[in-house]
Amino acid sequence: MTDPTPRPDAETYADADADAGTGTGTENCPPSARPPRWWRLLGRDRGAAVAAVVLALVFLVALFGRLFIGDRAIRQDLGASLRPPSLDHGFYGLLGTDVLGRSVLARLVEAAGTTLYVAVPAVLCSLVIGSALGMWAGYHGGWRENVAMRVADVILSFPSLLIAVVVLYVFAPSALNIVLILAIARVPVYLRTARAESAELRSRLFVDAARTFGTPSRNIIHRHILPIALPTLLTVATLDFCFVMLTESSLSFLGIGIQPPDVSWGLMVAQGRQYLQTAWWIAVLPGIAIVLTTVSATVLAAWVRLATDPGQRWRLTLPKKRRGARAAVPPEMIA
Amino acid sequence: MKSSVRSIPRPGTSRGHAVLTFLTSGIMLLTSACAVANSDTAGDTGSADGSTLRVVLTQEPPTLEPCESSTTATGVVVRSNITEPLVERDPTSGNLEPLLATGWRQTTPRTWTFDIRSGVTFQNGQPFTAKDAAFSIDRAVNSDLACNVDGYVFGDEKLDVRAVSPTRLTVTTKEPDPIIPLRISFIEIVPRTTDTKAKVRIPIGTGPYAVRRWQTGVSISLDRNDTYWGKAPAYPRATYVWRSDASVRAAMINKGEADIATSLDPMDATGDNSVAYPNNETTALRLDGREAPLDDIRVRRAIGMAIDRKGIIDALLGGLAKPAAQLVPPGVVGHNDDLVPPSYDVAAARELVRQAAADGVPVTRRITLVARNGQFAGIAETAEALQYEMARIGLNVRIRMADTATSLQYQLRPLPRGVGPIAMLVMHGNQAGDAAFTTSQYLLSEGPQSTFGTRELDRRVAAAGELSGKARQKAFAELLDYQNRTVAQYAYLAHMRGLLGLSPSVRYRPNSATGDEMRLAEVSPVKAGRH
Amino acid sequence: MTTFLRKRIISSAVPLVFVVLGVFCLARLTGNPVDLYLPLSATPGQRAEFSAAHGFDDSIPVQLWHYLTQAAQLDFGTSLRTGQSATTMVLDAFPVTLQLAGMTMLLAILGALLVGSLAAHRPNSLIDRIAGLLSMTAASIPDFWFAIMGVLVFGVGLDLLPTSGTLGGPEIWVLPIATLLIRPFGVLVQVVRGSMVGALSAPYVKVARSKGAGAGRVVFGHALRNSVTPVLTVAGDLTVGLVNGAVIVETIFGWPGIGKLMIDSILQRDFAALQAAVLITAVTIFALNILVDVCQALIDPRVRQAVPA
Repeated sequence: MTDPTPRPDAETYADADADAGTGTGTENCPPSARPPRWWRLLGRDRGAAVAAVVLALVFLVALFGRLFIGDRAIRQDLGASLRPPSLDHGFYGLLGTDVLGRSVLARLVEAAGTTLYVAVPAVLCSLVIGSALGMWAGYHGGWRENVAMRVADVILSFPSLLIAVVVLYVFAPSALNIVLILAIARVPVYLRTARAESAELRSRLFVDAARTFGTPSRNIIHRHILPIALPTLLTVATLDFCFVMLTESSLSFLGIGIQPPDVSWGLMVAQGRQYLQTAWWIAVLPGIAIVLTTVSATVLAAWVRLATDPGQRWRLTLPKKRRGARAAVPPEMIA
Repeated sequence: MKSSVRSIPRPGTSRGHAVLTFLTSGIMLLTSACAVANSDTAGDTGSADGSTLRVVLTQEPPTLEPCESSTTATGVVVRSNITEPLVERDPTSGNLEPLLATGWRQTTPRTWTFDIRSGVTFQNGQPFTAKDAAFSIDRAVNSDLACNVDGYVFGDEKLDVRAVSPTRLTVTTKEPDPIIPLRISFIEIVPRTTDTKAKVRIPIGTGPYAVRRWQTGVSISLDRNDTYWGKAPAYPRATYVWRSDASVRAAMINKGEADIATSLDPMDATGDNSVAYPNNETTALRLDGREAPLDDIRVRRAIGMAIDRKGIIDALLGGLAKPAAQLVPPGVVGHNDDLVPPSYDVAAARELVRQAAADGVPVTRRITLVARNGQFAGIAETAEALQYEMARIGLNVRIRMADTATSLQYQLRPLPRGVGPIAMLVMHGNQAGDAAFTTSQYLLSEGPQSTFGTRELDRRVAAAGELSGKARQKAFAELLDYQNRTVAQYAYLAHMRGLLGLSPSVRYRPNSATGDEMRLAEVSPVKAGRH
Repeated sequence: MTTFLRKRIISSAVPLVFVVLGVFCLARLTGNPVDLYLPLSATPGQRAEFSAAHGFDDSIPVQLWHYLTQAAQLDFGTSLRTGQSATTMVLDAFPVTLQLAGMTMLLAILGALLVGSLAAHRPNSLIDRIAGLLSMTAASIPDFWFAIMGVLVFGVGLDLLPTSGTLGGPEIWVLPIATLLIRPFGVLVQVVRGSMVGALSAPYVKVARSKGAGAGRVVFGHALRNSVTPVLTVAGDLTVGLVNGAVIVETIFGWPGIGKLMIDSILQRDFAALQAAVLITAVTIFALNILVDVCQALIDPRVRQAVPA
């Protein structure tokens, strides 16, 4: 435990991931001519590989699961209410039934689709809007930067759950409204991150050079700033899935999340909480689905961050023993 | 922006200082937090010794103003505990019993006379006379306070109230009103020194308990009123707290942190922690007969036949409710014993819808099923079951769960426009004990909570309201049956039953009024030997 | 430093104005509260009377003008629900949430510094992996689920803690704080670990090591002090996010805090209380942001220079 000798691996290869985006320009590049294929990189990292498989599975189920379950997710049978998980009732009875006698397995599959259908657009919207605004603001500086940052302050000063409650009670709680609310609530996070990155980059030599040659600012942002800021932004985005799914679940707890007969994991957890003592499987199984998905997303995000960063990708090609120091989460990640 | 961010700063004294400050302030916060927690302890706990009755409610009463006590949250604390009315209605028999009035009679067609009990004092020592009674009625009904009880039982009716002697009170109305004593039973009596310009937060009354302390957001403590005119209650003290989550309320009973908990969920209930009671609430789907396809009586009937009442009651309502065939529960004046719910018959219902479709009714037009979040345990699941059952007979239904304010927009006139056909899941509380309150609201063609009706039905409602005694009962029972046969605005679900959390150490028999008026004086400790 | 502070305060005050306007408009969007406060059987006359008495029949600009002129005198009106002054209600509720959030963040930061440093001390070790997995799992558990499980397991099942409420000794804080804590703690562990791993390989740490400093001294004495800046940034933003958690925690555990007050005010269309509650939260967030900035400026001279002019 207390080993006073310096650890050569950590010393040599570790890097302050906290400001990874800033260092890439000058980082001493790896010697290899061609970057190795990404799946080979992935195969070398067991944790990331497992995470990738889990995520792929979730996406496949979300996309194609509905084709197999038919109407089993909504088919009710009040006589079969609250059956515990068992092998006696066929494949769809494997994970038990909920209070309306619907197959929990079928509902988990159906909910995977809805959950991603809400979470993916919400994250993408906030990512695109927030990053674009943030990079624009950070690159130009001055009043633009000030305005953008104050907009972010305004949004952050409203408790997001409160806006959600007001808006969703007033304008029916449709999936589209939920996506919009979640997206708006998360815009400031990307805006701040993107602004910080691009404000730092705009004084760099290569950006200066491009400007001197008369490149329009839109192109500079697109060609020079975006590629460097992107890994950080993508990491934040991946981790945001967690936030979005949990917020959607909290909205369901307050009764304004996804509306039945649609179903999401968050709604299942919220509705099942009443049965925690009598029928644990209704709330626990979708909860596990959320945890598995978000943990996988986090692990994979850390890996993608390394893999998409030309200055750091070489770490992944090292033998396993020596890769210890990669850090998972950038400090920009905000809950 | 010029400095290179690569270099990592050396540790400096200012940073160390800042961290230190941060930690120190945090620790100060921590200790002050504990201090607050402890100051609470000094107040109201130490209650497990059995001398304090601990009640957990669903929400904090917004106020204890007696003229607001027709609202559930206020009434459950105030009524018959802190203040008392002249007349009280026995929730089981439906009869009116004397309380602060010893007797009453109709002296002229428009005038009722009440004999006032003597020897009663308010909790502040002031004696109670007919003047206080007259003052209280005036304050609640004829003032500008906008009292809830005014709108609840009196409408636009203005009363002429006079204290003719210290023990005699007369109440005169413009039109003859046979149920004035019942209406008067909703008015809690306060001393004549009470504020008439503003509502009071903490009232003074004649009841068996007086408010000792209201720690906002935390608890309300009551002390036994030692000068109470009636039988002294068993517990010298009572404390109310509130938790909005039903599982937490159940957990508090199970753990012995509370003796009584209002409204438990069936899934949290065991034989040891709760007792079921009829709460006079009736649930039904109100079908908007002005909009297609609900404007076709075959479709409305089909919905009634498509509902699996027994399945819903057993699976979702904990097997506690009874299938309903009318809005008025048993024990209320006007209940028709002969009505039975339509039998659950999906095939026949589907056939009715098919016939309607054949006649050109747009049965696939989308119906919105509106339900109020948290109105009763299992309402979300019930709405899902109803949606599924209606979809099964060929209707197109979506669910809209709304909060109270939003759902009231759908429930009350003026009804919202341009929202398409609405099937509203209503829960009607018939605590007033007379079908007149139900029919004037839910059945009149222009009733505040009714979407449509017929002239004939309106006529029958008006006629029944003027009768009294057996004739009144018969007239209301008949018009309920008539409504079902010719109008069918409602697809009834169930006469509900409430669940009261009750620790094994207390004895209390809930009745249909318990949710609105929980008489602490009726609660007694279980003798140690029988525990 | 003063210039920095002044600029920061002025530029942050603008959003506050928007918050004040925004909450007013949002509240008015939710409709007239008359139906909620009068019995279902109230007559149209009674409804009109109630509207007039509380100013809901004025046009929105007139209502806004009343609100602004009163707010300028620090009068936020009277709560429809309780009849109390909105200021009183908010000032009663605010300390509860402040203490809850303060304790939570203090414990989250201290815990995360400890666990994150341990994990970073030996990257990829067993401790590191367990800490990583646990913190990620913690960050992805729905808070209301955790709260109710806590009540059932520790409150009823094991009989260790009170189920809920604010009456009692220090033990009443355990479940609410634990519920609020899980997510910030999970996130902060990752952040601390990330920046510690970076700091541990920095030149000055090498120097310290080569001079023979022990592992504990290297980790806690040198590297940790340098990791405080990113932790502070994230912690500030997590604290803002705690308001959301407070809504859930205070609802379940029956704490009379600002989160519960807000949600009740929305559900009851109690505009005065809602406006006051959101305003005080926004002011707190505003102050918190400035505090974080000032702390960073104190710690890191580069931040001070980098403030946009």
